[in-house]
Amino acid sequence: MQDQILIEMQGVQKWYGGYQAIRDVNLTVRKGEKIVLCGPSGSGKSTLIRCINRLEAIQQGSIVVNGHRLDDSIKAIDVVRQDVGMVFQSFNLFPHMTVLQNCMLAPIRARRIGKIEAEATARRYLERVRIGDQAEKYPAQLSGGQQQRVAIARALCMQPKVMLFDEPTSALDPEMVKEVLDTMIGLANDGMTMICVTHEMGFARQVADRVIFMAEGQIIEEGAPEAFFRNPQHARTRQFLGEILAHH
Amino acid sequence: MTPHFGLPEFGFLLRGLQWTVLLTLVAFAGGCTAGLAVALLRTCGHKGVEWITRIYIGIFQGTPLLLQLFVVYYGLALTGLKLDAFVAVAIGFTVNASAFLGEIWRGAIQAVPRGQTEAAMALGLHYSSRMRDIVLPQAIRISLPATIGYLVQLIKGTSLAAIVGFIELARAGQIVSNQTFQPLLVFGVVGAMYFILCWPLSWWGSRMEARLALASQR
Repeated sequence: MQDQILIEMQGVQKWYGGYQAIRDVNLTVRKGEKIVLCGPSGSGKSTLIRCINRLEAIQQGSIVVNGHRLDDSIKAIDVVRQDVGMVFQSFNLFPHMTVLQNCMLAPIRARRIGKIEAEATARRYLERVRIGDQAEKYPAQLSGGQQQRVAIARALCMQPKVMLFDEPTSALDPEMVKEVLDTMIGLANDGMTMICVTHEMGFARQVADRVIFMAEGQIIEEGAPEAFFRNPQHARTRQFLGEILAHH
Repeated sequence: MTPHFGLPEFGFLLRGLQWTVLLTLVAFAGGCTAGLAVALLRTCGHKGVEWITRIYIGIFQGTPLLLQLFVVYYGLALTGLKLDAFVAVAIGFTVNASAFLGEIWRGAIQAVPRGQTEAAMALGLHYSSRMRDIVLPQAIRISLPATIGYLVQLIKGTSLAAIVGFIELARAGQIVSNQTFQPLLVFGVVGAMYFILCWPLSWWGSRMEARLALASQR
């Protein structure tokens, strides 16, 4: 089943008014694949993954997630969101709930799981991101890195088939980046299917099966990390890699 | 001979105070319920519905409350619907409060960061859960100082009910004052009664505001 297709995007186009954010994107993600999306800011990479769980609507093309075609119906959106977990740049934890409540809410409300089971699941995933001892605290009492790990655990509690990461380390202080990346690497090693928008090229080299470079709403180039970094084909890619690797 | 301000007069004022409190409670409860509906409709994302709600708010914020009370009491009577004075002013205040509270809460709902709703959507939560579990608990906290401030205005504003013959605290004071010719004493007592109702609320409201300001600094 390693070849099972989890996400299939075909001819996806998206406009904001007159501005075209996504131009004819085709992307197939197989089960267990780890994909890193990179590109300059404004290139549409965040928008693209936000289309997968319908935080953004597309105007043309089709998106199929785990066999379910994403259209405008609430039912289709529901089904897809149950299969797709997302981690945001700004964590977006619910500030008025404890860490544990953050992790229990969606399974109880959306999956209709009982409280006891939801709590057991939540504690298991909080242990897994090594934050089990903070379960009773509120998000504001945690560091940025801890909050992002809670956000990962919260998404995992819904037992998604795919995890989307939207610049998960960009809002973190440098010393906290590693703990979040380590958590993501652990998840990758466990076989989770992942699409990560990130500029962490070390992470890309270590875990990605494919690196995709986007600019101006288009996929410019994609390839295995070794080839992508050593021998980029397009001038645009070389320029981008030159800019970001110069800082590392 | 003219009676002096004594226990019976004080009792009369207390009954006026009771009606003021009761009218405030009914108007506030009704205004909260209808105001919540107004706030939710105003932020529902459907252009037509949002416009209708905006017009509703515009009408009740843009015309004098006095006029609205006249319309409910005398206007509805003309159509054959004769309402008891208390019922009429309760309806008038409820509708008016729903427009003001609806607008206060609309602002509070929109002040909850967009990322909260997005995270909830990404987790597969439906509109009802997103509102009940995520947005409203945060919006209510944000709106608490303004809501309390409105409640204080409402308590004092109920004196307008006197215009259709409803005897609440201010009107009771006027009656007693006319009987006793002791306006300073009588209105002093009336003022003290309003103050005892309003001041603790105002104090609580500003304390909430200070705490919220502190929380948002973190």
